[in-house]
Amino acid sequence: MNLKTINIAHIHLISLYWSRFAVRSGSGLVYLMIALVFGLSVAHIIIMPVEQFMALQKKQMGQANPQLVKKTITDIGQPIIQFVLGIKSLEQIAKEAALPQFPLPNDTSNTTQSGNNTPGFDPWTNFLLDKKPALLSSIFLILIFGMPFVISFLAFNQISGDVQNHGLRYLLLRTERCNIFFGRFIGTVLFSTVVMAIIVATITFYLGMKTRIYPATDLAVWAVQGFLALAILMVPYISVCSLISASVNSPFLSLILAKVAIAGVLLIAILGSFAWKPAKYLLYALPWGWQNNLLHPATSHWVIAVFASLAYTAFFLTLGYIRFETRDL
Amino acid sequence: MTNVVSIKELSKRFGRIRALNKVSFDIPSNSIFGLLGPNGAGKTTLFSIIADFLKADAGTVEVLGIDTRYISRLQGRLSILPQDAQFQRNIPILDQLVFFRLLAGRTKKQAREEVLHSLELVGLKSVAKRRVSSLSHGMVKRLGIAQAFLGSPEVILLDEPTAGLDPASARQIRDLVKQLQQHATIVVSSHNLDEVQELCDHVAILDHGNLVLAGSVDEITRADREYNVSLSRPLKESELEKLTSIEGVRSIKKFSTAAASQSKKSTDYLVILNLSADHLDQDAVIAPVLRTLLDMSVTPRKLTEGRSLETQFLEVTGTTPQNR
Repeated sequence: MNLKTINIAHIHLISLYWSRFAVRSGSGLVYLMIALVFGLSVAHIIIMPVEQFMALQKKQMGQANPQLVKKTITDIGQPIIQFVLGIKSLEQIAKEAALPQFPLPNDTSNTTQSGNNTPGFDPWTNFLLDKKPALLSSIFLILIFGMPFVISFLAFNQISGDVQNHGLRYLLLRTERCNIFFGRFIGTVLFSTVVMAIIVATITFYLGMKTRIYPATDLAVWAVQGFLALAILMVPYISVCSLISASVNSPFLSLILAKVAIAGVLLIAILGSFAWKPAKYLLYALPWGWQNNLLHPATSHWVIAVFASLAYTAFFLTLGYIRFETRDL
Repeated sequence: MTNVVSIKELSKRFGRIRALNKVSFDIPSNSIFGLLGPNGAGKTTLFSIIADFLKADAGTVEVLGIDTRYISRLQGRLSILPQDAQFQRNIPILDQLVFFRLLAGRTKKQAREEVLHSLELVGLKSVAKRRVSSLSHGMVKRLGIAQAFLGSPEVILLDEPTAGLDPASARQIRDLVKQLQQHATIVVSSHNLDEVQELCDHVAILDHGNLVLAGSVDEITRADREYNVSLSRPLKESELEKLTSIEGVRSIKKFSTAAASQSKKSTDYLVILNLSADHLDQDAVIAPVLRTLLDMSVTPRKLTEGRSLETQFLEVTGTTPQNR
């Protein structure tokens, strides 16, 4: 390890150069397109039924009934939120969808755990559905679940491509390996953060201007929190890609390994837990086990999730740096 | 003359292949040093270890008195034209080179001026704003050379600098290297032995990862009181005997360059005169040899003293660089 030679000015330059030109390289452009399509499609799928309902109400009654609009949003958001948070399984959600739409006297699964929450929901669901703009909450939860799969399209080629074509050799006599490694990591994080900001801003702006369901301040505050959650969450996943990219010469192999690592942990944990319950703890090998807490109502949970993200980042970056520093280039 | 590069007992393996085996030699300051060897001899590996791209298994390399394991201390003082390294394809070349100078602590304005000057040296100023993907192979090679000349490096490593260049561009690069010798020590690896003989004042020859010869070009090529005579046509055996009978000529051997078998160019027919050590006045031997050749209607086209680098290379490696 040769961290003494870290040069902040070099890291600053490399990260800006890397993020500035990321879009001109194939991977940056592909990521931008996929992330935008994914983010905006999710938003479209969630918002569209509400828009259609409001349009129908306006047509039939001259204006939308806020109570009915809220109920529609709850109907859409609740299963998404409860499934992504792991509160209910798909099976439970499907069963409930098939039942008549009024509370059953013996249904204990929907019993409120907090006195002043919406009846039928646990506090976390209630926070996301009732206390915060529910449409935005649903969109954020899906993005938090899906974006880790997308981020590898941007982050897989931080190092490996330039090792394969020896392009790094033009840099190696001009700066230290640690500056290249950390500079490119930060550049990738910057680019990812900008893309997240664009997606969240677009969705929030559309929601605020088109549907006018929520007060602008509530929407803006929750949008900032959601953006922070997404931006913070991408950091450990990018560091996983940094480790893989610094370890192999082929960008294609790096992409495949990144995909396998990120999706594989989730799949093995979920499928494995059917056969052996403790297998679900494999989720904690990556931030999968913590990441939803970035939208948790309790500040302590949020802080723990942030620190967990930083800890994962530090771990994977350290491994990646050791590999990059000691290998032939 | 002090040494700017000192290589001691350097070894490197790639799996079962031994790329370098206890190689040791020094490179004197302000020299143009040629690194020769057949394909796979270990030249690029040696360059890569000097620049710390590769880690040596054993041995040390010092450049300007600094161990290259602490390569950051050589930033700005050592530069390299790596073989087969690619630039970012979709980024303008001006932006890429300016970025390199910004890393050296220059302001944007200074960096731009230095880059344009460097591009002008290699004839690429007019394409400064183009992307690398739009340049020809030769232009990319010259771009690589331009980046190696950026700033004021004290030691410049050029791995096959003229490979793939047209003759005019190759000549331009050779002239540039000669000019730079006043300010820097330049290490050139090349397959072109004529180029190395023309450019370099010192050489090292590697073969199968071993150092087989190192020294000044003068020392190596002036051995054994030999003269190379290029001829307009090949000599018959009887004509060779006639020349050998001249007093002071110890032996004559016919020698063909690698291209001689295919080409019929006059300069490809050589005879090597080995003069007797007893004759101190070598001119007294050379004159009758030339006269006899003219009498035989053979025109001597070129006379050079000493062995050619190619002859020496053949002797120590048993092959020509292109044939390996």
